[in-house]
Amino acid sequence: MSVKEAIKNVESYVGERFPVEKMNYASMVQKKEVPVHQLSWGYYIGGLALFLFIVQIFTGLMLLFYYQPTVSDAHASVEYITEHVPGGALVRNIHSWASSMMIAAVMIHLLTTFAMKAFARPREITWITGVVLLGVTFMFGFTGYLLPWHQIAVNATKIGLQTIEEIGQYLPGELATWPRAIKETIQGEASVGQATLSRFFALHVIILPLSIAAMLGIHLLSVQLHGMSAGVDEAPKRKEKFFPTFFLKDLKVWGVAFLVLFILGLCVPFESFFAYPLFSPFDPKGSTPDGIKPEWYFFWVYYPLELLPFWMIMLGQVVLGAVLVATPWIFQNTNRRAMRLLAVAAGIYLIVMTLFGENIYHLFKG
Amino acid sequence: MIDVFLLIGLPYLALVTALVAGVWRWRNRRYSLSARSSQFLEDRQLLWGSAPWHIGIIVVLLGHIAAAAFPQIWSAILTVPGAVFIIETIGVAASLLAIAGLCTLVVRRLTSARLQAVTTNADLIVVALLLAQILLGLITATDYRYGSVWSTGTVVPYFWSIVTLHPEMSYVADFPMLFKLHIVGGWLFILVLPFTRLIHLLAVPIHYLGRAPQLVIWNNARRRQHAVVATIKAESRRAFLKGTAGVAGATGLMALGVSEKLANFFKGPRPDPEAESELLKKKLERLQQTAQERQLELERQRSNFIFVARYGELTETKGKYFTDYAMAPGLAFKGKDGLPIVLSAKCTHLGCTVGSEVDGQGRVLCPCHISYFSIATGQPNDGAPAKLPLPPIGWALMDEAGKEVASRQPGQPLQGKVDAELLKKCGLYITKPVKSV
Repeated sequence: MSVKEAIKNVESYVGERFPVEKMNYASMVQKKEVPVHQLSWGYYIGGLALFLFIVQIFTGLMLLFYYQPTVSDAHASVEYITEHVPGGALVRNIHSWASSMMIAAVMIHLLTTFAMKAFARPREITWITGVVLLGVTFMFGFTGYLLPWHQIAVNATKIGLQTIEEIGQYLPGELATWPRAIKETIQGEASVGQATLSRFFALHVIILPLSIAAMLGIHLLSVQLHGMSAGVDEAPKRKEKFFPTFFLKDLKVWGVAFLVLFILGLCVPFESFFAYPLFSPFDPKGSTPDGIKPEWYFFWVYYPLELLPFWMIMLGQVVLGAVLVATPWIFQNTNRRAMRLLAVAAGIYLIVMTLFGENIYHLFKG
Repeated sequence: MIDVFLLIGLPYLALVTALVAGVWRWRNRRYSLSARSSQFLEDRQLLWGSAPWHIGIIVVLLGHIAAAAFPQIWSAILTVPGAVFIIETIGVAASLLAIAGLCTLVVRRLTSARLQAVTTNADLIVVALLLAQILLGLITATDYRYGSVWSTGTVVPYFWSIVTLHPEMSYVADFPMLFKLHIVGGWLFILVLPFTRLIHLLAVPIHYLGRAPQLVIWNNARRRQHAVVATIKAESRRAFLKGTAGVAGATGLMALGVSEKLANFFKGPRPDPEAESELLKKKLERLQQTAQERQLELERQRSNFIFVARYGELTETKGKYFTDYAMAPGLAFKGKDGLPIVLSAKCTHLGCTVGSEVDGQGRVLCPCHISYFSIATGQPNDGAPAKLPLPPIGWALMDEAGKEVASRQPGQPLQGKVDAELLKKCGLYITKPVKSV
């Protein structure tokens, strides 16, 4: 293949994914239509995740006015927000509830788009940016978890980062020391301390939001360019206009979501689901609290990690990541029925591991 | 004397007259219970006069009625910070709106011959009274501020004393003439109510707001067609207005609530001195903790020995925590042979801090993923998540003079000699690990 041909190929590839002739108000908003069928509810989940992200930006900015990212003040400032600032408990509570809801929403979004085969050509870029967004969302959860600097947060972060170091034992020769170096680079020092807090803070409030914004830009642009994927095999009997019909329905869902979020934030402290006292500040000399667990959205990998050898989980993660990124090509020719079955199986696994992971763990480990 | 007449005589005169004449008019002149609309004579100026006038006067009147009818609820509302200002502002704004509207109406009456033809002397008296009354009220509101507050203890009891037939003018007798005139004006309105078009106050067409618009038309085909179009237009406009009002109301309420919360959030708490000092104390403690931590770090960078405990403090059953050279936790026990056992307490599995209680088999537990480590060897139990032993830490025992009595580096034999008597006086130190290059 000559260079000219290669360039031409790249051109046509990008041109198909980002059709310039469609980049106008008429085709991106006015003409866009949403098919109405059995799985139409899946079309709302992405928007819901977007809404929750917007909530996170607002509540996060508000928390930023009081939060102080230093090891001596972080915990005290979170306590100050919760106990003294008018409405502070509500804002913080909404922030933590919305974070969980956002992660749930992106996970469901992944499964529904997978089941609907919404990644098929020309939507590969949409899918891949989506996978990156999923990763960024998990990183948001992981970095945000450390910021209150209490016992659980710091110890959970230590364990989480330690898993990176663990990889070292499977690597040969000089490579074996790399994971440790990587871990310490992320931590900024030998153990989790002020440097880690500063870095996680920077990640959580600047770097991750910026990267999510960039990815989201591409993601949403391609969604609007290519329109909603058909989702089912049979041609839809009815279509509705994206704007204003579907958009208004979207807003309705957002309104309900906000109501639920607000009521939860007002009435149910997020911490009430933890069995241990959350509010003791981190004490480097104290022992790790009993029964420490990561947030629920890591259960699907945490409990298997407890039960199976470490290398299996790491291998599984790598394979899972690779499959997710390569999904548009791996499942190119799979029919939608099989896709739905796979998505349902994955969904059942996630639900079972999240709800009953602990029971399963005790079943095997006593 | 004049006060007695104006504040007690006039009210009863007005009430009795209004009652008798009102009932008479209701029974005998039913169709005169109206505002005698002049809309079909002139409707452009009317909109800009009648609407502001009625909106303004209804708001003001409702405020007066609410305060008079439910003085306790009214006072309770006013205790909310800022409520007085909001209510006073609304009142003044509404009365200004009413004055503007009324002036427009007067100009309209005076500049149109058609309207003058239907204007009676009673109308002119009513307009003059209304204008005077609102001006008196407005001046009272600005000269004697916060009438919404002081009225509940003065005018309201006076009003109820009149209504309940126990007239008591002392509540208001000492008010300045200006405000007394405002009260008198109120009674005058009741007096003239049945004799003027003010009677339409008693025939408020509230149901107009909800019912479908009606059009009175000449009945022919063309007009009917027009009427259909006009009805659809009016109907959809009504639906739109209703929707807009609903959405605007809901949004407004929400915006009000949210901005109140936001303002307070950013304003921050204003704790009392006690709470503030309590907070400051806590902050200081944390700072000291951090300073201590930094101190430890510096010490570990600088010195070759770190004190762990007096030898006498060590036991076989419970370890003593300390911070090792890597700023990670360590544990010190007394071994069976009487020599110290010094181990890292950082679990080799995922870095949790292991517990300090020694169980019956001479093991400590890492609570995170249940690994038991033997303190004698550091080895984890079989099948534990942790695979590697807890690394031993080099230690030295030094006597009071700082002379090294005994020491042991990891993986090396004991240096020096030990005897029980000497040990009691010693302190346990950890020694700086030799950097492997």
